[in-house]
Amino acid sequence: MNRILLLALLGATLSAAATAQHSDYALKSDFEDRYRQIASRLDSATATQEIESLKGEIEKLETDYTPHQQFLDKALYPLTFDESMAKLRSLQVLTYDRVYLIRTQGVKLSELEARITSLTTRLDSLTAQRDQLFGELQESRKSLTALREAVKRLTANLAAKDRLIFAIADSIFLPYGKDLHQVADLQKEAIGQRLDKANVLTRVYEIAADNVKFLDVTQLQGKDYGNLIEQYQAFTGRWAGLKEKITDVAATSAMVPTVSTRKGPAKTSVVRGGTKETRAASETAATQSAHVDSVLAEWHARLNAGFWGGLQKEFTAAGITVAPFNDGPSFSSSVRQEVASLAASKQDPQPFVETLWKQKVDKEWRDGLTKDAMLGKTEYAALDKLVSELSRETIDLTFIAYIAGVLVIALLIWFFVFRKKKRPDQPAPAPTA
Amino acid sequence: MIRLVKICLAPAALLVISSCSSLKMDRVDFGWPVESVVTVSSANKIEDLRYSVSAWVAGLAQEEFQDSTALRGAKLRLLRSSEGYYFLTGPKFKHVYVFSPGPSSLILNTSIPVAEGGLRNPALNQRTPYVEVLDGDNFHALLTADDIVEVKK
Repeated sequence: MNRILLLALLGATLSAAATAQHSDYALKSDFEDRYRQIASRLDSATATQEIESLKGEIEKLETDYTPHQQFLDKALYPLTFDESMAKLRSLQVLTYDRVYLIRTQGVKLSELEARITSLTTRLDSLTAQRDQLFGELQESRKSLTALREAVKRLTANLAAKDRLIFAIADSIFLPYGKDLHQVADLQKEAIGQRLDKANVLTRVYEIAADNVKFLDVTQLQGKDYGNLIEQYQAFTGRWAGLKEKITDVAATSAMVPTVSTRKGPAKTSVVRGGTKETRAASETAATQSAHVDSVLAEWHARLNAGFWGGLQKEFTAAGITVAPFNDGPSFSSSVRQEVASLAASKQDPQPFVETLWKQKVDKEWRDGLTKDAMLGKTEYAALDKLVSELSRETIDLTFIAYIAGVLVIALLIWFFVFRKKKRPDQPAPAPTA
Repeated sequence: MIRLVKICLAPAALLVISSCSSLKMDRVDFGWPVESVVTVSSANKIEDLRYSVSAWVAGLAQEEFQDSTALRGAKLRLLRSSEGYYFLTGPKFKHVYVFSPGPSSLILNTSIPVAEGGLRNPALNQRTPYVEVLDGDNFHALLTADDIVEVKK
């Protein structure tokens, strides 16, 4: 039995050998030689057309050696065949980009890379500072002043990080102009690689998540919300622009996911081109973008809940009971109902008008409320006018009461004066004996 | 009394012997995916960087060419089989030498005659469980650590 197996094995080996009588070493060396030649031509290329033409040679190299992939995976250690080809493709993309930028934009790739690196370093340093500030926030809960200071610094830190991440993205896209549709596929691949290297999507996700955490752990005051709403809106707007560009780049570039051990969008790396990988790239970009969208939705929900919840608490603290509200329209409706109710009843409107509206809402919450995403300037002005009219009615009644009082007093004075003047006219009583 | 001590010590000795038996790991694959082409230095030394193997080949030159300096500057082909044997040959060699590793040495297992006139441009391929030796289109054979299994001319 063993002998039969041995013969079968020998047969199979001989058959394999008969079909491939070559030196493995020569095969490996030939591959490496062709690889080196292409790499060397890329290194010395000065025209984009020349670099573009080498794409075909890279594809031919891959096609020629794919039948030997299993062998080359071992022989090319520490790289595999796929990794070696990806490295060559990546070199081609970056070379194309380098040559293109120098020729058309006058931008040196090294300068661009340096700018991105500098911005990334600043962002990382802000991230380290953020961790420290979150710690300070926890520690300073006992002192209101310290807490306010920590909130202020953390808000500034998060705002700076927001600006920086989009500055990085802008630096990556800026040299290619506004219209990405005009940009060649190879350049889109280069943009994809740069986005990947700067870890842009993961950073956007992390910054949005930081903001959610900030809203979770911080007790905010009404006047804090104006800035926070502006920050959220600016972030959302910039993200919408960036997402559109990333989707465009991913549709053509060759980004595929690598293992990610942390929550958030998986880091991507360029491995190889081709339809399958391109599909994977665009799917990955879509998944990552969906992660960012989801954390932005969470950010929006927390911001809304904190804002309207905080405002509702002001009403409760002032002893004013109104219909619950959780957005602009419901707030507007509640205030209008309350105004109507106060106007109709003989209830004193002062607590609502003076204590709540003027002292709290108008002083602390107006900035947030006038944002379009919350209530808007027009609607706030309408409500303010409505509440002011309620106050004017109160003033008019008092004024009338004062007038009435003055009239009564004048009447009394006139009456007594009149009586005093009339007394001498009366005939003196006849003297009695 | 001595006999009693011997009887008592016998099981203990057995226990010690059994606990000292060496651990063996099976199905080890030593095979290199591709041969190394190593150049003999002026000091008659070959060195493979990837697998960190180096050896002195003056004795091999003496054996194959009866001249201990004959291999200086030559490019030798070295391949380790999946069983762990080192197969070595080179241009003008009439044999493929098969060595087994020993303490700081390679011990000759077999020298397999493959070409009476000497190989011209030899190459070794890993064809588990065999090692294939080629000489351009002229010669092609499958080897074990002891002999030629199949020759195709």
